[in-house]
Amino acid sequence: MKKTATCCLALILLILLPLSALAEEKRVIGKVKGTRGLVSILREGQTKPAFPNDKIYQSDTILTGSDGAIGILLEDNTLISMGPIGRLAMDKFKFAPAKNEYELRLHMMHGTFVYQSGLLGKLAPYAVELDTPVGRISMLKETDFKAKFSE
Amino acid sequence: MLMEQHMNWKIVIVFLSFPLLMTGCGSKDNFIILSPSADGQVGALEIETEKGSAVLDEKGKAIFIGDRKSVPSEPTTLSQAETQALFQDALRVHPLMPQSFLLYFKHNSEQLTEGSQKLIPYILEAVQKRDSRDISIIGHTDRLGEDGYNRILSMERAQVVYDILRAQNVKGEEMTILYHGEGNPLIPTADDVAEPRNRRVEVMVR
Repeated sequence: MKKTATCCLALILLILLPLSALAEEKRVIGKVKGTRGLVSILREGQTKPAFPNDKIYQSDTILTGSDGAIGILLEDNTLISMGPIGRLAMDKFKFAPAKNEYELRLHMMHGTFVYQSGLLGKLAPYAVELDTPVGRISMLKETDFKAKFSE
Repeated sequence: MLMEQHMNWKIVIVFLSFPLLMTGCGSKDNFIILSPSADGQVGALEIETEKGSAVLDEKGKAIFIGDRKSVPSEPTTLSQAETQALFQDALRVHPLMPQSFLLYFKHNSEQLTEGSQKLIPYILEAVQKRDSRDISIIGHTDRLGEDGYNRILSMERAQVVYDILRAQNVKGEEMTILYHGEGNPLIPTADDVAEPRNRRVEVMVR
């Protein structure tokens, strides 16, 4: 009996886990506020042009062309802009002050970046980690910075 | 003799091109510079490569990093003109920080105080500057009176602000109304206490 129950539980988990992973992937984490030139979003293997007010989902990768630039507003009011020939992956974002859950993980792969901290950086700077081609940036407190990286 | 002369030239060329190589690749490809924040505070961050880490916590200072396998530089100064030029494309599309406004109400009323009426043009300006399609209107009351009554009052207050903005051509689909009754006071008080600062509607323009 106990074995059947365990088996059932395992089966349920097997069905539910990919679903929850999917829900995690599809989470809206911010939106495009401004663009110039050619800007696109790579989502689930497909690239499409990005326009102001488009939603940004967790796991999206943002790309800018040689004349492109994009300004992004995340749900916690973090502001990020990126200049031409840029590549930025929105790896993880969690902002739930009521549950005390915070996480921001971005991968600044290539280009020029202007980063302005939002509520996440104010309430939980330790939860902000930015990967770059040369190493990892971690926040010691609420911080605004600019950076340039080359792959 | 001829051979020896040739060798010397090679050495000279290598020496001459060395400083060029130093500035051309590597030195400005990867760097981080602290920006002054809006409230004048200076932040602090740490960059960690495979070979070491460095803390950047001084106003206007920059750290240069050759690659993943190099030690980050000591914090150095980068001229403001140079920073501005390097980041001008990003800065041109950098969004404005969302702005929040608090509007206050007269006691047990859905009428804005005179001071708060004067804020309406500033809200409209914030909407226009941001080309905002995301305006939250959040109603609150103080703890005087019954909870259920206060919920309705907070909704009515939010609705009043919605109507004011709507009359000024802010589109309905760009506004969201929320109301918290007495449940989310700005100034915590005991129940049944009058607190004018809690009779408010917050307008968040993103």
